[in-house]
Amino acid sequence: MLELRELPGDVLGVRFSAMASPCELLLGRVESDLALQLGSLAAAEAQRIEQKFSRYRADSVLGWIHRRRGSALQVDEETALLLDFAQQCFELSDGLFDITSGPLRRVWQFDGSDRVPAPQAVAQLLPCIGFQKLSWKSPWLCVPPDMEIDFGGIGKEYAVDRAYDLLLARCPVPFLINFGGDLRVSRPLPHGPWKVAIERPDSARKAAMMLEVEYGALATSGDSHRFLFKDGIRYGHILDPRTGWPVPDAPRSVTVAASSCTEAGLLSTLAVLKGKGAADFLQQQQVRSWVLR
Amino acid sequence: MKLTLIALSLTVAAVSSGCTSLGVEPWQRELLARKDMQPGGSRLDDAIDDHMYFSKEASSGGRSFGGGGCGCN
Amino acid sequence: MQLEPTIGNLRSKLIAASCALLGGAPVARAETHDVVDTINRALTDWQLDAALAYYHENGRIQAVEPVINAEHDLADGGQLDFDFTFDALSGSSPNGALTSRQVQTFASPSAKSFAQARHMYTVSSGNLPVDPNYSDARVAGGASWTLPLSRLTRARLGGKFSYEDDFYSATVSVGLERDLNDKNTTVSFSVNSENDFLQPIGGAPTPLSDYTQFEKGGHETKHGVGVLAGVTQVMSRNWITLANVSVDRFSGYLNDPYKIVSVIDAVGSPFGYVYENRPDSRTRRSVYWENRVGWSQGSVTADARYMTDSWGIHSETAQVHLRWWLPGRDQYLEPSARWYRQNAADFFRPWLADTAAVPSDVSSDFRLAAFDALTYGLKYGCKLTDHLGRFGRELSEFNIRLEYYEQSLRGNPAGPPASSGLDLYPKLQAFLLQIGFSY
Repeated sequence: MLELRELPGDVLGVRFSAMASPCELLLGRVESDLALQLGSLAAAEAQRIEQKFSRYRADSVLGWIHRRRGSALQVDEETALLLDFAQQCFELSDGLFDITSGPLRRVWQFDGSDRVPAPQAVAQLLPCIGFQKLSWKSPWLCVPPDMEIDFGGIGKEYAVDRAYDLLLARCPVPFLINFGGDLRVSRPLPHGPWKVAIERPDSARKAAMMLEVEYGALATSGDSHRFLFKDGIRYGHILDPRTGWPVPDAPRSVTVAASSCTEAGLLSTLAVLKGKGAADFLQQQQVRSWVLR
Repeated sequence: MKLTLIALSLTVAAVSSGCTSLGVEPWQRELLARKDMQPGGSRLDDAIDDHMYFSKEASSGGRSFGGGGCGCN
Repeated sequence: MQLEPTIGNLRSKLIAASCALLGGAPVARAETHDVVDTINRALTDWQLDAALAYYHENGRIQAVEPVINAEHDLADGGQLDFDFTFDALSGSSPNGALTSRQVQTFASPSAKSFAQARHMYTVSSGNLPVDPNYSDARVAGGASWTLPLSRLTRARLGGKFSYEDDFYSATVSVGLERDLNDKNTTVSFSVNSENDFLQPIGGAPTPLSDYTQFEKGGHETKHGVGVLAGVTQVMSRNWITLANVSVDRFSGYLNDPYKIVSVIDAVGSPFGYVYENRPDSRTRRSVYWENRVGWSQGSVTADARYMTDSWGIHSETAQVHLRWWLPGRDQYLEPSARWYRQNAADFFRPWLADTAAVPSDVSSDFRLAAFDALTYGLKYGCKLTDHLGRFGRELSEFNIRLEYYEQSLRGNPAGPPASSGLDLYPKLQAFLLQIGFSY
């Protein structure tokens, strides 16, 4: 359900839940009816994407794909575009970004305990991980029987961009669409840029980092909340699909600013996967970012 | 008949010339898109009601053409 | 923040990949090929409405009417509409004779003479003469095709048919619609032609002939042509208005073949009956105006119609519906009211005096008399999206509607002396109960 609230600076906010996150649409001054209408449009798009690509629902596209593993399937246009994108990201990142890394979930449960899996258990899963092992040529997909795919790594950011497109055609005022921290703005408010607060957990400075956003998108990746701790070593939940193990020295949080949320999300995920080299990587790409360790 | 034609042509003239100031932009149509705001949005109810009134009264139609087509009047 | 002037190699490829993903084809609907989802997918471009209505008049007719309507969006932006109705009527139908203190005996339409006992019925003293064996089943349907001729112009072709054992009807129509002023204004024009074929039970009676002579035989036809011109105008974000002007003309056999007129003697006792006769042409003109005003919690629809015809009848209708969404926006209530008034046709007579000459046109059908009618209604609807789960759609809904209709005849002459104290012009009271489902 949607919740409307007035915010300082003549901004209206519409809150709702989607993609297991608190979501928000912030708008410049409009009538409440229009705000709720646009909010429900954004919520509906988020729910549509969530349901369509959910790993848990039998009636989602992923459910259908996983039931028909081993056969060639003709996927719909949207799924095909996402698979193309996932393939390009897999190649650009030299295998660091891999939507087939789902099986690692079976041995890694990041519940803050010290139950780190045995190396053999992890090694056993590696043969069924690797995007190159899928047979993908748009629109035909064949997933081998022991593999699985998951769009979780780009789902939220993609949903932000989709909702953004829908809103841009219908919203006469500046807006900011935020799905659990991944956000995008259309243009600045009449009186100045949008003010966004980025959480800084586990940091000496408890206050949030304030960013001013006029255009573009922000996405944040990190492992501050889910980890394992054993023998003095902290295992963050960002796993390197090539080894099956957490990336060593992964930053707590990386926030990236880019023109689309999908782009920002990919860059922030890749940065975290680079571990120690996160800041260097981001600098090489010449992108505005904030790395927190 | 003449009165009807005059009324009709006045309506059309008023509409095509003087009404450019009336109306809304495409992104302001969210309320108008709701089913209860659309003429013809309650077709089934209207059809059932119209059939009832056609068989009990001397008038029919107005909303759309062809009120008849039934032996009940 | 501004886009950086120089960007890394990976990033530039990533931007290109993102554009390919996001700038790709619009994703209006989720599409899957699973068998179970085929139902939802096939229905994506379809809108179905179905309803079952039960109508009951006090002491008279009752009817059951299932109706179904389907709309299908076509790839070119056009639309196909289909509808189908079946109705079954039964009960008692007034035969046009006047209420009397005397017991009256009538023959059902199928009778060929008074000798056939099973086709007779008796009306006791003081009761409105009704044929208690009235029953009728009707099947009707229609289809229409809206096709875009250009970005702002559409043509509409339609056809309707209706079939019952004594009446067949077929109608065709052609129309044109054009949008103006940024689609804030729509003007439309349509023409329709209707052809009806009547095969009354027992044959069509000779008009004005003596009821007891059973002068009947054959079938009849009638034909109608109509034009309708309309304009719809968006007045503001929450107000839309619509006006229609229409004219139609019917010619041919316009009588009700089962209705008679009582001929009363000087005292007021029934002397005889003659079959009615109506003019063989009827031209009607009507003006209709509708307004819808909405807000987040609901809307109000108000419409009015004025009609006149060449039979001397003119009528005024006014109606209002109030849609009220309950908090949570999953359910609504919709109270409504309708007020209707008509005056009598030139040739309407509740009875004829035996001393006067029979006019060339006469009918005592109360539907042509002067009366006021009121309708009160209440509708309840609830959205089904969450309850049907994956088969739910934004527009799916269950609804239930109850209407009360009452018709009060007015301005009619007091009866002859023999009928004093009798209610010659009884009030008609009826209710309609309907359940409906939209998907």
